[in-house]
Amino acid sequence: MNTSRLEELKQGTAERRVFSLADLVRRRPETITAILLVAICIIVAIANPAFLQPSTLVDIGRASVVMGLFALGVFIILAAGGIDVSFTAIAAFTMYSLTVLVQNHLPGLPIAVILLVATVGGALLGVINGLLVHHLKVPSLIVTIGTQYLFRGFLLSFIGTVWIMSLPPQMGAFGRLPLLQFESANGATITLPFYFLVLPIAAFITWWILNRTLMGRAIFAMGGNANIASRLGYDLKKLHIFIFGYAGALAGLAGIIHVCANRQANPFDLVGTEINVIAAVVLGGAKITGGTGTVLGTILGVLLIVVINSVLVLVGIPSTWQRLVVGVFILLAAAFFVTRQRKK
Amino acid sequence: MSATSNTQEASSRFLELCNIQKWFGGVHALRGIDLTINLGQAYHLLGENGCGKSTVIKIMSGAISPSAGEIILESKIYSAMTPIQSLSAGIETVYQDLSLLPNLTVAENVALNEQLVSGQGRLGRLFDRKRLKETSEKALATVGLPSDGAFLNTIVSDLPLAARQLVAIARAIATRAKLVIMDEPTTSLTRREVDNLIRVVERLRQENVAVLFVTHKLDECYRIGGNVVVFRDGQCVAQGPIEDYTKTQIAELMTGRAIDSARYRTAKPLDGELFSVKGLSAAGVETMDLSLRKGEILGITGLADSGRNEFAMAITGVAPARAGTITLDGRQVTIRRPADAIDHGIGYVPEDRLAEGLFLDKSIFENEIALILTRLSNRFGIIDKQAGRETAARLSEEMRLNTKNLDLPVGALSGGNQQRVLIGRWLSIAPKLLVLHGPTVGVDVGSKDTIYRAIQALAERGIGLIIVSDDLPELLQNADRILVMNGGKVVAEFDAEQATEDQLYRAMLTSKLETAQ
Repeated sequence: MNTSRLEELKQGTAERRVFSLADLVRRRPETITAILLVAICIIVAIANPAFLQPSTLVDIGRASVVMGLFALGVFIILAAGGIDVSFTAIAAFTMYSLTVLVQNHLPGLPIAVILLVATVGGALLGVINGLLVHHLKVPSLIVTIGTQYLFRGFLLSFIGTVWIMSLPPQMGAFGRLPLLQFESANGATITLPFYFLVLPIAAFITWWILNRTLMGRAIFAMGGNANIASRLGYDLKKLHIFIFGYAGALAGLAGIIHVCANRQANPFDLVGTEINVIAAVVLGGAKITGGTGTVLGTILGVLLIVVINSVLVLVGIPSTWQRLVVGVFILLAAAFFVTRQRKK
Repeated sequence: MSATSNTQEASSRFLELCNIQKWFGGVHALRGIDLTINLGQAYHLLGENGCGKSTVIKIMSGAISPSAGEIILESKIYSAMTPIQSLSAGIETVYQDLSLLPNLTVAENVALNEQLVSGQGRLGRLFDRKRLKETSEKALATVGLPSDGAFLNTIVSDLPLAARQLVAIARAIATRAKLVIMDEPTTSLTRREVDNLIRVVERLRQENVAVLFVTHKLDECYRIGGNVVVFRDGQCVAQGPIEDYTKTQIAELMTGRAIDSARYRTAKPLDGELFSVKGLSAAGVETMDLSLRKGEILGITGLADSGRNEFAMAITGVAPARAGTITLDGRQVTIRRPADAIDHGIGYVPEDRLAEGLFLDKSIFENEIALILTRLSNRFGIIDKQAGRETAARLSEEMRLNTKNLDLPVGALSGGNQQRVLIGRWLSIAPKLLVLHGPTVGVDVGSKDTIYRAIQALAERGIGLIIVSDDLPELLQNADRILVMNGGKVVAEFDAEQATEDQLYRAMLTSKLETAQ
């Protein structure tokens, strides 16, 4: 071994031990997301102290659940080097068909079974995505654009287009079931719903799969370079089925929670919010080209978008500005990540 | 007696290929290959580009299936293997592209596969981080890389190329390998690192592991020893102990024609200085002076960190110099970007032609005219295709490209022909000075010959050439003078006609030894 080069490597690693923000950001891009999130919270809290009230925080928590579940699914696919835009259609399909089914045929179905069926149903639709991506050898963007139209078209043509305003009682009850309940200063009751728990649990499971199982490492391996991963013995078919099935399961679950939380099932709902979710994942530091990112970053990205959406009103900025602000943030964050990488 | 020797042979026999055939569409890539690999032996698979070497490796590692024939692996007969079957039988491959996952850490790249393979490729299992750390530490120490926590957690895309090559080798030996296949493992290693690799190979053989090298570097084959296997046109044309063959014989077997290993350089430089550099310094280069005559070929060598690469990039504007003057044809010139160098007639053929030089999915024609688009286009920016085609045809002729079809994508050509396209492109600007960086890296003997002849023809036209290379015989055969760099400076100068490889090698290392003492 060339001693000088060995020493260089050793020096390099020694330097890395010294703390530097630049290096932290390069290795953990979600630091930027966290800084942005904290900065916004501080600015908004100064501009309008009402922000720090428990009711606002509970609102943010409640609003993050559906988007967060979607985002975890998108993240796992992005980590594997793919992309999915059909998850909202999967969610809409499962939630509406299941609501119709329960209402018309199985009114007594317990809520736990409903949640399970939604998850499994979503997973099955996701597996269709996975099989198509694997066997057609077509980029997943194209496949999932196709299946988004397909799932949604099937839903609207064959299942129904009627807006269901009165849900089966057990679903409505689940949406209202409190996890935490307290009275605010002005006497109103504030409820953190029970379904909020689903997000941290799903985040933990996703983190565990990605970091503690071979499947998780294989997902990142495929995201690094699918050809090489296959050459090294990773089974790409299993991986495709797993990631799209998993994202589908999360989407199915998110769909049914969306219904329970809003106490209505609108078949035209959800589809169209894909870009918002993908934006959250990218803001959380995952590269759109795959192979990187963390669950923590994804959750921070979701919180960032939810906070922007809910606080602009508090500081007196019209809600029509949301998109503008989110757009600026995405560009700023992207520019920041890229320049950091170039300097290295 | 013969019974015992037979059983011995049978017990050490690991892998056997019997009459393996492979067609790619209408191309008959392998025409009945028979090959036996015994444990504890070293094999050198030699042959020109396109002779079927890579195909055989891919069949052994399970990446592709043969069209006909049998694979006998530890007495089990297969008609084709999957990657997991091959890996769990102990066949590890270090591919030429290294097959590292750029976004994962060093430890994961080295040792994750061991866990995948030991579970027969099943993915629904826990990932053992402790075992990952232990396995990778051991393997990294064997190849001479650091094995501390910081290095283990370095992302592979942050590593220099030579370290990546060693990481790929570490992965191959991290498992209980029985056969390690290395596809040109030494292309980006310096002599020292090659020496280290040879020691690793020696240790593997003592542990009864078979090693199969695919290489173009005959010198290294002789240093490692063992058996040589020569392929030509998808057939095995020779097989046996390497001592039984001379270099010239092997080269003839590979190409099917006699190759002259004598000096290519017969002409003398012309009179008059063409190019000079005074007090040039750049990152990694300290106050260099040198001068070059018209039609002179100057070789520059040194270890990878000697500053030779940085010097080449400084005078061609790739990574501009900080200080110093550059004179070309008696006029002082400023070179801040590659475009400046091109304007002055200085061309640079980079070492990594795939990443830095060629547009692989574009045609030969488009690649050849890439530098002269402005010259070929009229004032509305429309390119004169006819003139371009004529130029491309002339350049291909001059570089003796083995195809007349200029619409062929460059990616479909062999390494040697790709290199000729790249050099041909620079001829389109009618260069005064060409800087060639490792002109024959990854190129077979037959193509080397044509490239060397082309280089000599350029010099005879009065073009000055600087060849930056690791390949010492290449410099000795082609150059007028050879400069040896070390620590960013020229430490020795040799007349290429008189010098020996040994002298050059010693000069490359001298100041290193001094600082070490």
